[in-house]
Amino acid sequence: MAEPGSSAARKSSRAVVLVSALLPVLLLAGILYSFLVRGTGINLPPPAPIENLEFERIVLRPGEIRAHVINTGPEPVTIAQVQVGFLNRASWEFEVAPDPTIARLGRAVVSIPYPWTPGEPYEIVLITANSLIFTHEIEVAAETPLANPAMLGRFALLGVYVGVLPVFLGIGWLPFLRSLSRRWYFFLLSLTTGLLVFLGVDALEEALENSADVPGPYQGVAVILIGVSLSLAGLYAVSNWLKQRKQSTESGAGLLLAYTIAFGIGVHNLGEGLAIGGAYALGAVPMGTMLVLGFTLHNLTEGVAVVAPVVQHHFRWSHLLWLGLLAGAPTIAGTLLGAFAYTALWAVLFLAVGAGAVFQVVIEITRYQVQQGGAASLTSGFSLAGFALGLAVMYVTGLFVIV
Amino acid sequence: MKTPGWILAIVLALGALTAGLWLLPGQRVAAQRQLTPAAADAVQNQHARHLQPTKGSKRYQYKTPAARRFDPSQVFDPTPPPPGPAPNGVREYTLVIEEDVPHEVAPGVTVPAWTFNRTVPGPVLRATEGELVRITLVNKGKVPHTIHFHGIHPANMDGVFELVSPGETFTYEFIAQPYGIMPYHCHSMPTSQHIHNGLYGMMIFDPKEGRPPMRELAMVMSAFDLDRDGEAEFYAWNGRAFQYADNPIALRQGEPVRMYVMNIFEEAMVPHLHGNLFRLYPSGTTMTPTEYTDVKTLSIAERAILEFQYDYPGTYMFQCHVTEHMEQGLMGWFNVLENVETAQSRCD
Repeated sequence: MAEPGSSAARKSSRAVVLVSALLPVLLLAGILYSFLVRGTGINLPPPAPIENLEFERIVLRPGEIRAHVINTGPEPVTIAQVQVGFLNRASWEFEVAPDPTIARLGRAVVSIPYPWTPGEPYEIVLITANSLIFTHEIEVAAETPLANPAMLGRFALLGVYVGVLPVFLGIGWLPFLRSLSRRWYFFLLSLTTGLLVFLGVDALEEALENSADVPGPYQGVAVILIGVSLSLAGLYAVSNWLKQRKQSTESGAGLLLAYTIAFGIGVHNLGEGLAIGGAYALGAVPMGTMLVLGFTLHNLTEGVAVVAPVVQHHFRWSHLLWLGLLAGAPTIAGTLLGAFAYTALWAVLFLAVGAGAVFQVVIEITRYQVQQGGAASLTSGFSLAGFALGLAVMYVTGLFVIV
Repeated sequence: MKTPGWILAIVLALGALTAGLWLLPGQRVAAQRQLTPAAADAVQNQHARHLQPTKGSKRYQYKTPAARRFDPSQVFDPTPPPPGPAPNGVREYTLVIEEDVPHEVAPGVTVPAWTFNRTVPGPVLRATEGELVRITLVNKGKVPHTIHFHGIHPANMDGVFELVSPGETFTYEFIAQPYGIMPYHCHSMPTSQHIHNGLYGMMIFDPKEGRPPMRELAMVMSAFDLDRDGEAEFYAWNGRAFQYADNPIALRQGEPVRMYVMNIFEEAMVPHLHGNLFRLYPSGTTMTPTEYTDVKTLSIAERAILEFQYDYPGTYMFQCHVTEHMEQGLMGWFNVLENVETAQSRCD
């Protein structure tokens, strides 16, 4: 075989590869250019104007209703008239900021100087220049919380009740958990798995529910898929990196798992807080004592889940503080953000990220248990009972949470 | 080393709980509301009745910013053609039907309307009792149309059976009788669509002996259901919601006014004058008033003559007393000028 010939052949094959990689891209650019310049040749004007306005947030101030809207249609939309429905619809005065004409995916705030009364239902009716109608119902009018210190304090406290407090109370069981025998320890790990599986499915369900309120072009369900995948993969990447960096000791591995659980629960709680704060801000949920009580009970088990992997290890006590804060404190951020800057998109994203994180933790705990007690320990009576009890506890305490 | 950890955790938790409970008064009420739905309703009802309404916007209601008012040149002229005998006793009109004519039904909101001579309602037709009325229909639309007239005429001039196809022309001829207010509208099927889309108008037949000369106004009451869900979004005097609110009609103090009113929508309407009463001539078919009042319920396609004069200057609302109709556009203003003033700013 002649050396130069084969090298030339290699060179020419490389050129072919290069051309075959670039050619479709160049052709695509050419086609797009000709579409833009000459059109597609498919000239089918829609029989009626296609417009879409979606409501993102309603703010009720004394004597004023403010609707935050987004144009999710294919063309710009002009808001020409506004009516408020109460008994009957009535045309009303209004202002649109920044402009009554809203570009595609543009946002605007419609403020209506309407003397609404608390406790009454209202309907917001926006009529576009092309005489299309978009409506939103306010089920029960209540003043939107102002971001003043008192209100901020109240919503922060709500976050403490729903997130921080139950996690720490759960952690408080640590001394009792330490007294358990090995069999009961596997019971506890499986209980945690049960709790987390429930939590993960719950978060997914909530994310799906909220995704209905996400404006169409933002593809709520796709956001869930991306959130779940990213957090699953991301957590693996981070924990693998940490495992490689640190001298792998048994207590170190347990602690890492505990932190992973705390992180997963923390993100989940952030999403939950957003949903709770947002629901309150939209006038959908009365924040009664029973609801707070329900969430507190429901989330109590999260503390148990966080410390389960480290029950048999010794470590600095300050870790408990950090674990509890990592798992619980994001709830505060969630309720605050939810109450004062709610959009469904963020709630869906955080719930999805939380769900992904929780599922990652479920896989890790299972692996951890297999490491500790072998695969057979997963199907022992204690483990099965633990898993079942975990689901049952979440179900029963969930009955108190009527959102 | 493990003991201080859980003690700290529990102390923290209990501390937060206690602090929280003391910081949140009024949660008991919420608890009651959660527990019994009936109690919750009671609280709610009391709430709505006894709480002060939220304070007003400090803006004067009905004051629309200039950028969002009807262009005065777009306003439907409420003055009907003058009465009087037709030359040679024949009154001729041409009505051209067009479809999907842009019609601004409320400031900024445009609908594709079906029109007689490009307006909604169609032009006011006027003749004197006994004259020959000759009306030429030109159908420039894409679907067949007719004109059906109220009044006394032969069956073949009733505009119900014989459709006038797109591109065709048809001439209706009949004697104007009896005197009164007679509606005209398209009677093609589906008639509800043809009327709703704008094919209607008012016809005035004057009595032979005439009525006393007065300032005259013609007002058609109708409505527009933008999303075709059976509930109208806008109600209007003469086809445009709020047009006489944005552009009030100037009257003079003590000036006698005759208002021809007709309801062409499928709901009862209740014309009502503020600060005044009117003499009522039902259907305009009598020479003597039957009632002296300030409201008159006009059922579907019912009409009436209202005669009145304002004794005091000022701004008065004229509205439909069905508040929904009023709040969706069936209202306007009479701007009654003092008699000493020269009233220049008539609406036309």
